[in-house]
Amino acid sequence: MVKVYTSTYAYDHAFPLVSLAYFLRYPNPYSTHVQSTDVISRQFDPQTRQLTTTRLHLKRSKLPSAVLRLIPRSLLGATAAGDSQSYILETSVVDVNAGWMKTESRNLEWTGVLSVVERQDYYRQGELRPASPASSTSFAQTSSDLLPSALLQGKTDVVASVTLRSPFGENVKKRRAAAAAAKAAGDQTESEPKVGFFRSWSQGSIQRSIELIGLNKARKSQPNAKEGMKVVLERLREGGIVGVLEGMRRDRETAFATGLHVPGNHGHDDDDG
Amino acid sequence: MSASLAPECNEIKERYDNCFLKWYTEKFLRGTATTDECAPLFQEYRKCLGVALKERGLDITIEEARGDNKENDDQHMRRS
Repeated sequence: MVKVYTSTYAYDHAFPLVSLAYFLRYPNPYSTHVQSTDVISRQFDPQTRQLTTTRLHLKRSKLPSAVLRLIPRSLLGATAAGDSQSYILETSVVDVNAGWMKTESRNLEWTGVLSVVERQDYYRQGELRPASPASSTSFAQTSSDLLPSALLQGKTDVVASVTLRSPFGENVKKRRAAAAAAKAAGDQTESEPKVGFFRSWSQGSIQRSIELIGLNKARKSQPNAKEGMKVVLERLREGGIVGVLEGMRRDRETAFATGLHVPGNHGHDDDDG
Repeated sequence: MSASLAPECNEIKERYDNCFLKWYTEKFLRGTATTDECAPLFQEYRKCLGVALKERGLDITIEEARGDNKENDDQHMRRS
């Protein structure tokens, strides 16, 4: 059972800049829930000139409370109530010559309840155009530390999708079979509460409900992810990398000043951003 | 710069990140890169991070996730 949310849009920024912003997108004012980012692996292939990166993000996040209400606590384990962090594994491939970047992020935990795969593919719009005199001046002054102005011209198309799948309850059948076997063997105490729970809700309807909740959450958080990228892109365009790093420093100070880092404060619990 | 999940790796991570940003903008994006010049710094950072991942049991989780999804990734991230 799978639900997919897709959207297409474009950034008024050149592809090289967008690819750089992707790597620099945390922290930004829309991502105060992202606590850390680490590079797990990075490979540059001199033949294809493609760069493949795997990163691990730690986000302050939890299952939407609407999902939690659908699932018996006994199935979630001890961490369910207080768990407020989740790990996201992100893979990206950039081909700067062909002008595309493909990215994919997935949750590492809770995959038995809801597996979320986010993809954002970026494509250079048309061909690189030579800088026009009118628009190149501002870039030349402010982004000279970054890239030749010719590389800063153009737009980037984005194809974004979120795929949600809830395998929740798929091993309930196995549990039932085990319970039946146990019953036959004379042990009647096994798994009674779970069977009772699933009597009122069919497995399929719970999966659909979880996926629908996840889909609504994705709809709400996708614009934040887009806005966060825009902030980083503007900082890049105005101040180059120095501008981005300065902005990050301010974001972190703001986050600390407002106490958003305090465990238990779930001001933002979006998985994206 | 974004922080590492392991505070003890922040310093080497920052050195690596800075190296990467320089290489990415000055070489990779201009199509003049021939090797990953930051590989030695990455090895150092990865060594620090590896310990932290192992302590948290994440090394296995990550390997499993990458293994499980290798087919999907190969399809989606196809090198064309």
